[in-house]
Amino acid sequence: MKQVRKFDARPKLDGSWKFLDDYSYKDMIYGGLFYSTVHHGIIRKITFPVEFNLTEFTIVFAKDIPGKNIVPEPECDQPFMADKEVFHFGQVIMGVAHPSKEILKKFIKQIKVEYEELPAIVDVKECLENEKNAFGKEIIIDHRRNVKPEKGWIRTHSVYYTTHQEQAYLEPQGMIAIYKPEDRIMFVRGTMQCPFFVKDGVEAIMGNTIKEAIIETSEGIGGAFGGKEDFPSLLAGITALLAYKSGKPVKVVLDRADDIQITTKRHPSRVEIETYTNPKTRKIRKLKIDYRLDAGAYQTLSPVVLARGVLHSIGGYAVEDVYIRGRLFRSNTPSNGAFRGFGAPQAFFAIESHIDKIASHMKINPYEFRKANILKFGDEFPTTQKITENHLYDCLERVIVKSDYHKKLKEFSKFNKTLKDKKGIGISIGYHGGGYTGSGEKLLNSEVKITIDKEGFVNIFVANVDMGQGAHTTLAQMVNETLEHPLEKTIVQLPNTKKTPNSGPTVASRTIYIIGNLLRKLSKKIKDELKFENLERFIKENQDKFPKEYRMHFTPDPSAVFDDKTYQGVAYKDYSWAACVTEIYYHADIYQIELKKIWNVLDIGNIVNPKIAEGQVEGANIQAMGYALSEFFYKKGYGRIQGFTDYAIPTTFDIPEIDIEFIHTDSTTAKGLGEIPMDYPAPAIRNAFYNATGIFIDEIPLTPERILKTMNKLPQTNTDDTQT
Amino acid sequence: MKFVKPKDVENLLKNLEEDKGKKYFLAGGTDLNVQIKNGIIRDANIIYINHLTELSGISEENNIILIGATTSIMDILDSDLIKRHLPYFQRSLESFASPLLQNTATIGGNIANGSPTADVIPLLLVLNAKVELSSKSQCRLVYIKDFFTGYKQNVMKSNEIITHIIIDKNAEKDFLTFYEKVGSRRTLTISKVTLAGMKKVSGNRISQIRLAVGSLSEFPRRLFKVEDYITDKTLTEIDFSKVENLLGKEITPITDLRSDKEYRYHVCVNLIRTFLNQ
Repeated sequence: MKQVRKFDARPKLDGSWKFLDDYSYKDMIYGGLFYSTVHHGIIRKITFPVEFNLTEFTIVFAKDIPGKNIVPEPECDQPFMADKEVFHFGQVIMGVAHPSKEILKKFIKQIKVEYEELPAIVDVKECLENEKNAFGKEIIIDHRRNVKPEKGWIRTHSVYYTTHQEQAYLEPQGMIAIYKPEDRIMFVRGTMQCPFFVKDGVEAIMGNTIKEAIIETSEGIGGAFGGKEDFPSLLAGITALLAYKSGKPVKVVLDRADDIQITTKRHPSRVEIETYTNPKTRKIRKLKIDYRLDAGAYQTLSPVVLARGVLHSIGGYAVEDVYIRGRLFRSNTPSNGAFRGFGAPQAFFAIESHIDKIASHMKINPYEFRKANILKFGDEFPTTQKITENHLYDCLERVIVKSDYHKKLKEFSKFNKTLKDKKGIGISIGYHGGGYTGSGEKLLNSEVKITIDKEGFVNIFVANVDMGQGAHTTLAQMVNETLEHPLEKTIVQLPNTKKTPNSGPTVASRTIYIIGNLLRKLSKKIKDELKFENLERFIKENQDKFPKEYRMHFTPDPSAVFDDKTYQGVAYKDYSWAACVTEIYYHADIYQIELKKIWNVLDIGNIVNPKIAEGQVEGANIQAMGYALSEFFYKKGYGRIQGFTDYAIPTTFDIPEIDIEFIHTDSTTAKGLGEIPMDYPAPAIRNAFYNATGIFIDEIPLTPERILKTMNKLPQTNTDDTQT
Repeated sequence: MKFVKPKDVENLLKNLEEDKGKKYFLAGGTDLNVQIKNGIIRDANIIYINHLTELSGISEENNIILIGATTSIMDILDSDLIKRHLPYFQRSLESFASPLLQNTATIGGNIANGSPTADVIPLLLVLNAKVELSSKSQCRLVYIKDFFTGYKQNVMKSNEIITHIIIDKNAEKDFLTFYEKVGSRRTLTISKVTLAGMKKVSGNRISQIRLAVGSLSEFPRRLFKVEDYITDKTLTEIDFSKVENLLGKEITPITDLRSDKEYRYHVCVNLIRTFLNQ
């Protein structure tokens, strides 16, 4: 554990670090996408504006695709470009390129398409309420143990909803493609999380016309949050096709308005939970969950989001009799995709809200109720995976103490009796399985490479990107601390599919957990093999031995077996654990919740770089705060958001006080961190609002408008609730 | 679209006499540039005025404060003169857009753009500010309450430009003030509801009250009917259902992507109540 400054911090501040739009190539032209403006329809006629010279433009349609018109995804159902029928607003119909950016923009704006419009589902609830919209395949986790509800047990049944969320990365999507006919290589540079996914995408669309696609990321990647997991494959494919057809380097950088409207978002969800609780033992005895996600028009990677969602949907509780059903639903909106948390924030919003509801029905304190049911050593998940540590419980206990929960509860109750404005405090707990779900990491078979040259440089080759999260600094630290080599001589190379081995995508909180720990292992091997005291001196004295190359594959724990069909077994080898308390102030005049403070206690194992780790928690907390309070992407009758003007992500002025503590840091494993602090805050905020006002709202965001609507529907509620 | 940069105010006013067509003055550009980019403004002439130093700056003259049309919001926030005489005005402007936009956006631009959600206008309304309109041949003063005639419509003639905003030095003296801008976050937000209020209380009677709202009608406006009803009453004499009734006649809140009309109405009622009880 060492405080090391991110090596990209300075060049990013002084502007020397290159983001995609900073790259330029000789004879480069500009590309753009023309997309559907109807939600569902058949393309009848396309008319190009007459005042332009068509021969100056390169235009590609679905029919020009030499390879396959299907983006490679876990579920291969999405075309690169629509052919005859469009299934959602924002579906790409053609790619266009021209030497002048301005002319290109004007031209695309004036292209007219006549559609025969067909019925479409755009409303989130219309999509998720109607079971006919389900995509067919479903996931069942069956842990029924024949528990029969007894007289006196409390049945609690509710439906919880969450909405879309926009990743809002600072740098919009962008690609540059260069075709080299002499060796039939398609080179693509882009802002992306997964270079090898993009390689698959480009090779799929180009088919046999190219020998190979080589993908390299830009030097800087201006944020991603999951938004650059799968969309870049589609964008790179079309950009490559434009480069192939025009014979020139083509750059496509999406305008913010286009980026917001056509790229993937977080899946809206509907989660229905039914529980039976024994009031005497305070134990939840039986639990049933129906977990639904709006996948959009195509499934793409949604089955994987669904898998993680259902696996996290029970929350951190031990229940004997459990039945979980997960399904994807179809709508006529752009496919939803990856976003920090990946199905878990939806799951935790539902279960953590539900836990407070049961506690309220039983008239006991939500902390006491959690304590009675929390996963402990020897318990098991519905997948039958055994719990081998009490770290989740430790997180809960610590956060209750740190936040002065009991004292605040009393104080606020007193405050709320006399004043119009209210104060509230809420709890949530959560966890996040590190790495790919189930057998995923085994199939990925990630490989890393380290080379040591004569000059004493240790070069790290991984396909995982630094998108601002500090991964490359942290990875370099994991190597340099093991080799005891100077950090400035430990260099992470720019991911390039020809030069870096396939260490898998930069997703699933796996970069430090899988790749970092693997690099540590490889570094240890190097150290054991070379038997040096000081690597620099050793290189100087043994010049004939260098340059030298080392490689290593990830070997999954053979005892961790998961059955992808029955959903039984070890879904994730290691879990990160967390508990959280939030304090809110409710402004009664304007029906607005203000998040005052959030306490996080996390077990992410060993900490490599404390500052970067804290940064992850802070960033994710703020993202979760927007998710809980202000961000919505769609309003019935008023359509989808078209830009940042009406999409209220929190600004610096809105950021609450954030308290972070990591526990159990003496572990040898660095576990996943990127996503977990996004998973749990939203329900804690919702539970704090209940504590403040006695009103349950089962849908986020908790906008003032939604709060007013809920209050208007309620009979006058008694805020002197029974929680003590 | 033609871009014009007059060399001085005299030249500008002369141009205005000749140019009878649709035109926009470009000062800070925080709204105008967006409208041009989005194609909302297409065939109008754009007249750049931000370099005309005569139109910028804050000064005093006898009993009045003069604020040049192209004075930035940040300049008003930084002004000692404003701090001395109009602290409520200055304090309230802190919620204007965001620090970045405060540096660029101008007071004249906020008025001329005439958005129903304009942050400055409700304040100028309760301060009884006047707008100085200049043409080549004359200079006239219009109360801000009489300036707007409809959604983004105002009384300016084709040959006129806003040159100053004029506020009485004693405008805030002896008044209790209130300002709340309600948006979806603390900064960089477009108002859902804004209420500006000034009142004088003698004994427990409200002897004078001014209320102005933003985002609740086609343009920010004073609530004259509500004011009339409240004036000269004590708190116990005020029938709040009557206030709500009158308010319903004066505002026309809408539902849009940003908010709901019910929300806007209820918040306005709550804020008025809170201000009266203060």
